[in-house]
Amino acid sequence: MSRADRLRLAFAGLHPDRTRGLLDSYGSAGRVCRAIGAGTVDVPAYARQAAVAPVDALVEILGRVGVAAVYREDDEFPDHLAELPDSADLLFVRGTLPTTPMVAVVGTRRCSRYGRALAGSYGRAIAASGWPVVSGLARGIDGAAHRGVVDGGGVGVAVLGCGPDIIYPREHRQLHDDLIARGGAVVTEYPPGTPPHGWRFPPRNRIISGLSAAVVIVEAAETGGALVTATMALSHARVVMAVPGDIDRPTSKGCNLLICDGALPVLDPADLVEALSFVPGLPPPEAGPSGHVDPVMAAVGSTGSTLEELTIALALPIHEVAAAVTRLEIAGLVRWEGEVITVSR
Amino acid sequence: MFSLVGLPDTAVREAKERVRAAISSAGFRFPYRRITVNLAPADIPKMGSAYDLPIALGVLAAAGEIEPAASGVVALGELALDGTIRSVRGGLGAAITGRAEGLPCLLPATSAAEASLVGGADVRGVRSLAHAVAVALGEDPGIRPSPVRAAVVTEHRADLAEVRGQSAARRALEIAAAGGHHLLFHGPPGCGKTLMARCLPGILPTLTDDERLDVARAWSAAGRRLAAGDHPPFRSPHHSATVAALVGGGSGVPVPGEMTLAHHGVLFLDEIGEFPAHLLNTLRQPIEAGEVHIARKGVSVTFPCDVQLVGATNLCPCGHHEDGSGRCKCSPGAIERYRRRLSGPLVDRFDMRVSVARVEADDLLGPGGEASESVTGRVASARQIQRDRGCLNRNLGRGALDCLPWESAAADLLRSALDRLDLTARGWDRVRKVARTIADLGGDEVVGEAHVAEALAFRGRL
Repeated sequence: MSRADRLRLAFAGLHPDRTRGLLDSYGSAGRVCRAIGAGTVDVPAYARQAAVAPVDALVEILGRVGVAAVYREDDEFPDHLAELPDSADLLFVRGTLPTTPMVAVVGTRRCSRYGRALAGSYGRAIAASGWPVVSGLARGIDGAAHRGVVDGGGVGVAVLGCGPDIIYPREHRQLHDDLIARGGAVVTEYPPGTPPHGWRFPPRNRIISGLSAAVVIVEAAETGGALVTATMALSHARVVMAVPGDIDRPTSKGCNLLICDGALPVLDPADLVEALSFVPGLPPPEAGPSGHVDPVMAAVGSTGSTLEELTIALALPIHEVAAAVTRLEIAGLVRWEGEVITVSR
Repeated sequence: MFSLVGLPDTAVREAKERVRAAISSAGFRFPYRRITVNLAPADIPKMGSAYDLPIALGVLAAAGEIEPAASGVVALGELALDGTIRSVRGGLGAAITGRAEGLPCLLPATSAAEASLVGGADVRGVRSLAHAVAVALGEDPGIRPSPVRAAVVTEHRADLAEVRGQSAARRALEIAAAGGHHLLFHGPPGCGKTLMARCLPGILPTLTDDERLDVARAWSAAGRRLAAGDHPPFRSPHHSATVAALVGGGSGVPVPGEMTLAHHGVLFLDEIGEFPAHLLNTLRQPIEAGEVHIARKGVSVTFPCDVQLVGATNLCPCGHHEDGSGRCKCSPGAIERYRRRLSGPLVDRFDMRVSVARVEADDLLGPGGEASESVTGRVASARQIQRDRGCLNRNLGRGALDCLPWESAAADLLRSALDRLDLTARGWDRVRKVARTIADLGGDEVVGEAHVAEALAFRGRL
């Protein structure tokens, strides 16, 4: 199979299941492209155009949008994804895609404030442990998890359901740029220019699952993308973890059902990190500077402290303690409740 | 026939009788002919009894009873029927006018004392009308006013050495003193909020000559004797005070209220949550503007009130909310109502807030903290830096704040504070002012990240 033909086929932007079906029938990407060009296979006009396009033109498009095509056999392509039968043949990558197994944090777009805060602190905790975090850049849980990773100085990967040059939803442009700037990546199997069609999202969830060693579902309804990811994860033999929620809240139903079905329930971020440290494929958690517990955080404790109590507990001058509290507050780790500084969840 | 024109009020109209009797009692002859006293300018209402002495001197000079030269003076005073002179308010203003006109200033002995604060004024105390005539003619030097003694108002002052523990509240107090920032203390009853506030005057630098004069003028306008001498005034009105008592007013000539008495000093509102909401709202604008305008029919006055506002409050009606004792029995509704009253627009005016914790037994028995005297030194040098820059950090405007040098990390922190913390534009300016003061306390020219971070920890939240 020539790499040029594989690039053409990827640029055709067909549904991944259909692409795989065609490859099974025709045997190689070259034959599929020729069949499309000859009109034997009925595809939309944009797909036909790509299938017969000169490969230089496609490479030029990639150069223009600043995206690299990474093939399944390349060193830059994660092995644990490549070995899956339903892996993408090539990925369009902007940024640096980590090749080690990651942790996926996903959930519903229509999340509660509680879920959003939780996703952020999970993202931060996982990032602090040195594991890359993958999610879908969607509104809600995905976005919050990405934000947590970025704020925690970790590496995050977003898998898109559209072309690599399209940011959807648009309000995540900053997040998108931050992910790449912090050494992460934005990846997709759809070619540049592909709009975010609804049908393109469920297939991208298998990439999220494929890239990860464990999938954490923070909030999910009974039906929806997050549960698709969970199902994919089970078929990929990934560890599935879910955050329990109110039994009568629609956005927690999916998670609670997963737990009933055997998913690992996760509690606070520390609990999650501990559970993840037993997941095969993930290196032991880093105890580097970002992972060690800040002494001020430790002094704040689980029940909270006043500024005065912190000063006594830390035996530091008040101006240093006050400044440290503000830095933690800006980082979203603590907040003021009246006079008491508490750890924010 | 003796008529007074120029919008006299009843007290001024009655001057006729006092003047007539006093002139006779002093041994002069009251002229028996038509007398018209014109109080110029004619369109400003004249009130009070202070015009007695000048009217009497004018009548005597016009009647040829005394040399006309005797009317070349500034004089104020109320005459008794027997010719003795009673004290009046406004002596300080008279002395300032006298200095400006280069005229001697004749005042009742008590008013002369406060007037002597005006450097360069020729102030002479007088006892009676006859004495006043003698002084005006230069036959008698008058009573040399004894300078106002700096009476120490002990009940308002406390020394930080008495305060045990409370490092956060101490630090906040020092920053607030250095920059003149409005500060809100809160915490459970009996934890020392009031004590901390009363320590503030002791760590503020003494008044400059100009400030002292401003303060004396304000007090003189209120008809009060200045008690604090060189020290910034500290006023602590009770929460049952009326609007007029707080911002000024009253019938006739508006009299300055507590806010003006606290000019260049501290206005301390203890139990601020107990003050009626309309009273707190009245304070807002004057505190922001540094002066209060009082308009009455026909009279409009402006009193200065460049004050540092210090408040103290509980967090709920019983005061034990969140103090860890679990003693609070207030309903959530009552706590919410209490907070709403505080979180109204006034609390937004506080630059800093800090909690005063209940003191542990060990601390209570332990040694006291750093004494006020050594804190004052740091506060004074921070103030000197501000004076060289132009104004107290409390009064820095947004433009001035923008022009000050900020370390780039400090600017970044401020930006993320705007994004991440619930900070209003006004709150943002307040944080920048406080950060500037913290840098001044440390002697740093550029405001650094640590300064901003500390200022944010003390920011007003509710």
